[in-house]
Amino acid sequence: MIASQTAFLYLYKMKQLSKFSAALILLLFLASCSSDDGADKDEEKPTITINYDDGFPQACEALKRGETYNFRALVTDNQALASYSLNIHNNFDHHTHDDQEGDCSLEPVKEPVNPLLVVDNYAIDGAPDSYEINIAITIPNDVDTGDYHCAYSVTDETGWQSRTSVDIKIVD
Amino acid sequence: MLKKTLSVWLWLSLCTIAFAQESFNIEGTVLDASSLHPVEGATIYGKDIFSISSRTGAFTLENLTPGTYALTVSSMGYASEEINIAVKPEMQKLTIYLKESATHLEEVEICGKTQLRENKEKPIVAVAVSEVFLKANRENSLMQTLGKIPGVSTVNIGSGQSKPVIRGLGFNRVAVVQNGIKHEAQQWGSDHGLEIDQYGIENIQIIKGPASLVYGSDAIAGVVDIQPNNTPELHSFKGEVNLLGESNNDLFGISTGIEARKHHWYYRGRLTYRDYADYKVPTDKITYENYIFDLHDNNLRNTAGEEANASFSLGYEKDNIQSETTFSNVYAKNGFFANAHGLEVIVSDIDYDSSSRDIDLPFHKVNHFKITNNTSIESGKHTFLFDLGFQNNQREEHSEPTPHGYMPKPDSTKERIFNKNTYALNVRDAFSPNDKHNMVFGVNLEYQDNNIGGWGFLIPEYNRFTVGGFAFDTYQVNPDFHILAGLRYDYGVTETKAYYDWFQTPRNNPDGTTSYIYMQRAENKTLDFGSFSASAGLSYIHNHTTYKLNVGKSFRMPLANELASDGVNYHMYRYEKGNLDLDPESSYQLDIDIDHTTEAFSVGVSPFVNYFENFIYLNPTSNYYETLQIYEYTQSQVFRVGGEVRASTTLFNNLHLDASAEYVYSRQTSGPKEGFTIPFSPPLVGLVSARYQFKNLLFFDKPQFIAEYKIAAAQDEIVPPEEVTDGYQVFNLSYLSEIDLFNNDLPVELRIKLNNVFNTKYFDHTSFYRLIDVPEAGRNLSLSITLPF
Repeated sequence: MIASQTAFLYLYKMKQLSKFSAALILLLFLASCSSDDGADKDEEKPTITINYDDGFPQACEALKRGETYNFRALVTDNQALASYSLNIHNNFDHHTHDDQEGDCSLEPVKEPVNPLLVVDNYAIDGAPDSYEINIAITIPNDVDTGDYHCAYSVTDETGWQSRTSVDIKIVD
Repeated sequence: MLKKTLSVWLWLSLCTIAFAQESFNIEGTVLDASSLHPVEGATIYGKDIFSISSRTGAFTLENLTPGTYALTVSSMGYASEEINIAVKPEMQKLTIYLKESATHLEEVEICGKTQLRENKEKPIVAVAVSEVFLKANRENSLMQTLGKIPGVSTVNIGSGQSKPVIRGLGFNRVAVVQNGIKHEAQQWGSDHGLEIDQYGIENIQIIKGPASLVYGSDAIAGVVDIQPNNTPELHSFKGEVNLLGESNNDLFGISTGIEARKHHWYYRGRLTYRDYADYKVPTDKITYENYIFDLHDNNLRNTAGEEANASFSLGYEKDNIQSETTFSNVYAKNGFFANAHGLEVIVSDIDYDSSSRDIDLPFHKVNHFKITNNTSIESGKHTFLFDLGFQNNQREEHSEPTPHGYMPKPDSTKERIFNKNTYALNVRDAFSPNDKHNMVFGVNLEYQDNNIGGWGFLIPEYNRFTVGGFAFDTYQVNPDFHILAGLRYDYGVTETKAYYDWFQTPRNNPDGTTSYIYMQRAENKTLDFGSFSASAGLSYIHNHTTYKLNVGKSFRMPLANELASDGVNYHMYRYEKGNLDLDPESSYQLDIDIDHTTEAFSVGVSPFVNYFENFIYLNPTSNYYETLQIYEYTQSQVFRVGGEVRASTTLFNNLHLDASAEYVYSRQTSGPKEGFTIPFSPPLVGLVSARYQFKNLLFFDKPQFIAEYKIAAAQDEIVPPEEVTDGYQVFNLSYLSEIDLFNNDLPVELRIKLNNVFNTKYFDHTSFYRLIDVPEAGRNLSLSITLPF
């Protein structure tokens, strides 16, 4: 900051321009020193987890065809939750993995014939700061069995997003 | 008011002069009085004696008998100087300082050449970057090199690719101009480089402020103007080979250039090849969201790449005509970090760790072919300039095909292909009716044709035509006081073309049935835009101080992706939506620059205030489209204030100290992200460097040791989806020297650099990989040797 002080000294030698530029520089340094004018800004992401007793599915969970399951995840935000999504797709080519602890053993790579695909978005009404996602899904009898990937995501009203995912299997 | 301009200093030379019996030599160096850079091609003549200064400014007058000689030293752009010198035994070396001449520079300005004096007189806040600076500071990419200039930073991806950011704005808000033609590559995205060969560039001018007046759309935040190289000297031939090696990414680079001139005709050529492996980061694991990626041997997997460039130009200069045609081709292929394709975490069977040099999927390759012609014709008080350009930019992004949503697994790796042709014509008339006025009238025309391919859709095919006309006048109140005012109008038409998915998506009908349709992502649409730009400023030189003030209004036409995107960006793992209602961005800016430079020290300050009426940015909404977050192009008002301060001094003759700081404060003052900053806001950064010039040692001439210390504050001004970035400090060292290996006045230049000396793990807020928590490159030792011939 020695540089800026020296710059100031020289500025004062100026007549016409000096007031204006000094004011500008002052503004510049004031701006650089103040770090708080975002007190009312929402700078927090929402949270999302399946790691609680009712969270579903858990890592490596095997889902039976024909059964109905309640997919449940807990989401919170410091201000207002807005939307969430659930995506279930096959991982027959092993292209992805989850963010849960431990690896599930994957079955051999194979081509999908009639894989299960869930691509659902939902709005959360009332802008709550916590919410439990609870989606009932019946696994059709005719879908391919094997490795699947289940991904949740949630946004808040500001546009922050959080995601979590889990590897599951569909079995007979 | 100027006293006798010549200063001749006799000083103790570092080498002694060789002389033969009875006859003596005058040895000396010609330097620019302000910058202390060597003046090449200066003529030194007296009665029956003549010499021309070399590249290093050195000259020798041989076989002189003792006595007093009257010498005249002159060089284009400088005031000629006369000196008297007594030739006697044991003479010391001469150093001659030439001062730039104001009168001559008016002509130089017309030729588009850079001179310090011209820059001082221009009200526009600009920084001239010399070849000397580029050589001393060369980093892995041209833009990283320029990042050392206060107010200039970069958006990086990987080790070799970066884009310029001026005062926190980059991408399409900074126009990169080469040989007078706007470089049309893939500047809109954060994951591609600049596609310009960084070798063989002599002069760059950086404008840190709105410059639409002259440069048109895109120059809303600034310009990086890579200017044509100086015409080679008459009847000359010279060339160089540069070899570069780097330890961090095992880079090997070679670049060789030649230039020659007969009388009227001249040519230049350059070939460059660089090949590098994955770069190393000072961490063994990357934590992104809840994922942990272990790194093999600290290598950021699959970030290897290669680059091959060639250029050739042919020029003709006679009387009032100068014309040069340049052909260039830049090819690059780079891998992307393999564990995350952009933001999506992926798993692959590819054995990335088997070699750090191979480039596996995902990768991109790009080829940029360019032909430019620059012609100037002087005719009386007019100088006509014609810049003609054709550019073909072909970019391919390849990734492992994976199904996504309703899209089945694609059958090739070609995710996205862009093929863009750009034709440009600039015509200018620089007219000086008298000594006071310097008027420029110009027209810019550009036509662009963008075609797409691949299985991913992001931006539609489009054609774009823009035409702009401008006029400005630089009025010289007196030789130290200049005023500039100008006006411009642009008109543009963008025609986007329809695009339908290649796969079907199920849609539920009201009657309960489901139909399968090819979704339309873009429509045939014709949009037109018009916008005024204006600029007014003054520059006042008072002794050693230069004052500049500039106000300007600039604009930028919305891009096709901003207008008409409608698809999944697999790379960023989000759904991007354009907005056909976008207006051209307009920005108002006030710039001030005060510079005080004496021989002992220099200080400068350049503050600015800026207001965007309608800043376009990609706003993350809280909604989803097929489980991907929707990002929508939105406009808001933005207020920015900031600037740079700089100071430098020379102590004890040999120690040169530089210090600078830069800061930008940005706020969106309307729209859905009101109160937030804008994306990629750089933090407060300070840079201190010390350069010490040693005495010649062994075979090292002019050895210099440079220590550089960069301090960046934390950046907690963020906007979704960014994360707060901690402050950091990095320490770099370099050693530069010349070696007179062949005793022929063509010294070999040696450069050894040690970047990130302490292997510090830090994050750069404006790096693309910051989003997935990848730190910047670790310690890097580089060795560069330039062999002239």
